[in-house]
This record gives sequence, C-alpha cells and structure tokens, in this order.
Amino acid sequence: MLEIKNLTKKYGKKVAVNDISLSIPKGAFFGLLGPNGAGKSTTIHCITGISQPTSGSIFIDGVDVVKEYKLARTKVGLSPQEFNVDIFGTPRQLVSYMGGYYGIPRAERKKRMDELIGRFDLEDHADVRFQKLSGGLKRRAMLARALIHTPDLLILDEPTAGVDVEQRHDLWKYLQEMNQNGKTIILTSHYLEEIQYLCNDIAIINDGKIVAEGTKEEFMKGGKTVEEAYLEITRKRKAK
Amino acid sequence: MMGINYIGIATIVERGIRRTFRVATQTLIAPVVSSALYIFIFGTVIGSRIQSIDGVPYITFVFPGVLMLSIINASFSSASSTLYFMRFARSIEELLIAPFSYLEMMFGLMLESIARALMVSFLVLAVGVLFGAVTLVNPVAFIVYTAAIAGIFALLGILVALWSESFEQLQMLNTFIITPLTYLGGIFYSIEMLPPLAKSITLFNPFFYFADGIRSSMIGVNEGDLFVGTLMIIGVLLILGTAVFFLFKKGWKIRS
Repeated sequence: MLEIKNLTKKYGKKVAVNDISLSIPKGAFFGLLGPNGAGKSTTIHCITGISQPTSGSIFIDGVDVVKEYKLARTKVGLSPQEFNVDIFGTPRQLVSYMGGYYGIPRAERKKRMDELIGRFDLEDHADVRFQKLSGGLKRRAMLARALIHTPDLLILDEPTAGVDVEQRHDLWKYLQEMNQNGKTIILTSHYLEEIQYLCNDIAIINDGKIVAEGTKEEFMKGGKTVEEAYLEITRKRKAK
Repeated sequence: MMGINYIGIATIVERGIRRTFRVATQTLIAPVVSSALYIFIFGTVIGSRIQSIDGVPYITFVFPGVLMLSIINASFSSASSTLYFMRFARSIEELLIAPFSYLEMMFGLMLESIARALMVSFLVLAVGVLFGAVTLVNPVAFIVYTAAIAGIFALLGILVALWSESFEQLQMLNTFIITPLTYLGGIFYSIEMLPPLAKSITLFNPFFYFADGIRSSMIGVNEGDLFVGTLMIIGVLLILGTAVFFLFKKGWKIRS
C-alpha cells in the first residue's frame, strides 16, 4: 500500500528525515512511534503533500506522490496532529468543503457527510463553530474530515490527544472496524497502550532514522509491553 | 491522469462566498458606504460645481473610477486576507492534501476573489443608479473589464499573502503602491486637466488603463488607447498569473 524509498527531508541544513525506507502492506494497522521532533510528522507531511521530499520516493498503491500527486492525494486521508482548519467554520462545513475539494458531487457528499457526522456522534455540534468545540469534538471533526473521500490509506497523527477515555475507546472500536474492512491505517500516538492495542506492525523513528521495525509480537518478545520495548530502544540510542 | 477538479474549484469559490456573507459588514456593506460617500462628495457636492468632462456630467465621468476602486479593494483584500489567514491557521493544508493542480488552486483562489469583487460591484452599481450616475453602453465589455481587473488584483493579493509575514506587511502594498497608483490613474479627473509631463507619466500607469477601460464600457468615453489598455491588462494578468503559478509549484511559504 505504501512504499517509502530512501526518503530524506531537510529544512535548510537540518535533516528532519534521513534516508528512511518503509513498506506498509495493504490492510496493515501500522504504528509509527518516536519522540517529539523525531521525524514522524515530517514523514507524514511528505506522504500527504504538505511537505516536499528533498530526495527519495513515496508510492501509494503504486502511485508516485510527487509525479502523480493528484491521483496520489485521492488515496490518502489525514487527521493531523494540529487543527489545520478555519476555526470559524462548523464541522459540517469543514467536512463538506473537504469533500468538495476531493471532487465529490454535492448529493453524494451530503450523504457521506451525514453518515460521518452520525458515526462520530457530532449531530448536536455539527453547526457549532470549530473554535467553540471541546478537544474531543475537534478531534472527531478532524477524523470525519479525513474520511469524507473514503481513502484507502488513513493517516492519524495523534488522533486521541485531548480525547477523554470513553471517547477514546469508541474511537478505537471504530478504527478497528475500518481496519477489518480493509482500510490501511498509520497511527502515531504518544499513548503507547493505544499502539499496543490497535497496531499489528510498528516502526520507531528517532533523529530522522528508522531505528526499529517489526511486528507487535516481535516488539513484545519476552513479555515486554510496547512501551517497555520503546523505552529500551530509545534510551539505548540516547546512551550512544 | 486526472481531469480538471471542477467541483474542487467550485468549492473554493463557494467557501469564499460564504465567508463574504459571514463578514458582510466588512466585505459588502463597508465598500458600499464608502462608494456612496465618494459619489455624494465628488459627484453631487463638488461635481455640481464642475463643468462636464468629455460631454458627460462629472458624476457620470467619475463613477466608473469609484466602481474600479471598489473592485480593486474587494478583490485584493479578499485574496490577500483569505490566503494569509489560511497560511496563518495552516488551513492551506486542506488544499495541499486535496487533488488540486497548482493551476486549479490558483484559479480557485482567484475566482473566489473575483466573485466577491463582482458582488461588491453589483452593489456599488445599485448605489450609482440611485444617484443617477450609471450608464452602461457596453455591458459585455463592462463585465470583461471588471472580471479582468478583479483577476489582476486577486493575483496581486495572492502574491502579497504569500510574501507577508505579518498583518502589517499585508497592508503595505495597498498603502504604498495600489492606493497612490489608483488615485493618480485619473479616476477622479480627466488626464487632459494635467500638465503635459504629468499626463505623459500617467500614460505609463497601468491603473489609468484599468479605469479608462471600465469608463469606456460604461459611458463610451475613453482618454487612452483602448488597444494599448487591453494589451496592458492581458500582459499584467499573464505576468502575475505566471508568478503565482511558479510560486505555488515551488510551494513557497505554503509547503514546508
């Protein structure tokens, strides 16, 4: 589903992502972990078109995200870490406009929008300005927006930050359902129990490089939790 | 190969129109009030003491210029504030992750501003009708001039929004370039009233041709060469359009 080959992204002299390669198969629930500033969001930005890779290539379902960027964009949905929205817009408008940007005709867009607003329990808040919503509602609106064009690959950058426990569990259930229905999901989260609960495959990125990659079972070998394995790997790198 | 994202472009325009109505006091009512004041003061109060220009009453001569001023302000402020705010709030990422080509993105943002300029010009025309200042000898040419001038200032607004790093910078071009060139472009006077040197200099001011074009389509009177004016408008549109296209392609200030 996603092939990243020798991706490097530099901001001036700073190397944010350094020659990483990743292969994520169709239907995977993939956890991308790493400390703040490790290169997770930069990698995501390169996949989605928010950033331009300095070198290397990225293919989504065989489509080059730079050379065939229009087609590639239709295959990805992004729920970003930061709320990159018009704060004066309402969830209904955000989702509808995004559907329009993806070229979905109005009638179909309305149908999908109503489904998503219902699915994320946003009916009572669908016409409230984004700035007035709680953190959890904002996250749900972002997820609805990411799903309006039914992408094959869903990228969730810290989707449960600021979401209460109950809503987080509801969201997990929904993500699992989507994954079981064939959607490929990439998840970044600082809640490592979330990664352990949801993901099948995991990669850890640190200082712009992939420092560990494998199945969840490989990370949890010897009875460790994902969090323990993660700390072991990142602390070992720090000590070097 | 994907086709043109017409729905996407229409959605950018729809979003812009909704935003225009959301802040209608600032975007629609304020320009109508200032235009009404211009027409009242320059047209009725001062105009009643000025003899006709090129055989038309002063109010009729000055109205196309007032209208152009509204079109320029509406289009420029729409494009510059919309894109700058999108950069500021990072909602520009909504467009970057969607299937838009650079040209489609440019046209979407440009048409959004043209739409606002057309709404404002319609309202200002209505005020002009109330003051008896409106004649329209060539409606097709009028619409073409209006859309082209709005397009030029939309592109200029996009460039300024890309360049600006603060709200103060956003106003700089308007204050130091657009406003002086507009006022010196013969919107309130005939260039025949100017000394020979000032008249010659005015003929190099593109804003003079913008006003002259609109004036010719409204009252059938032009002071400059309409062919030169048309070439000037097309040339400026192409230069600014190319500049915006390449900056979007490069991702300057919008893509990290």
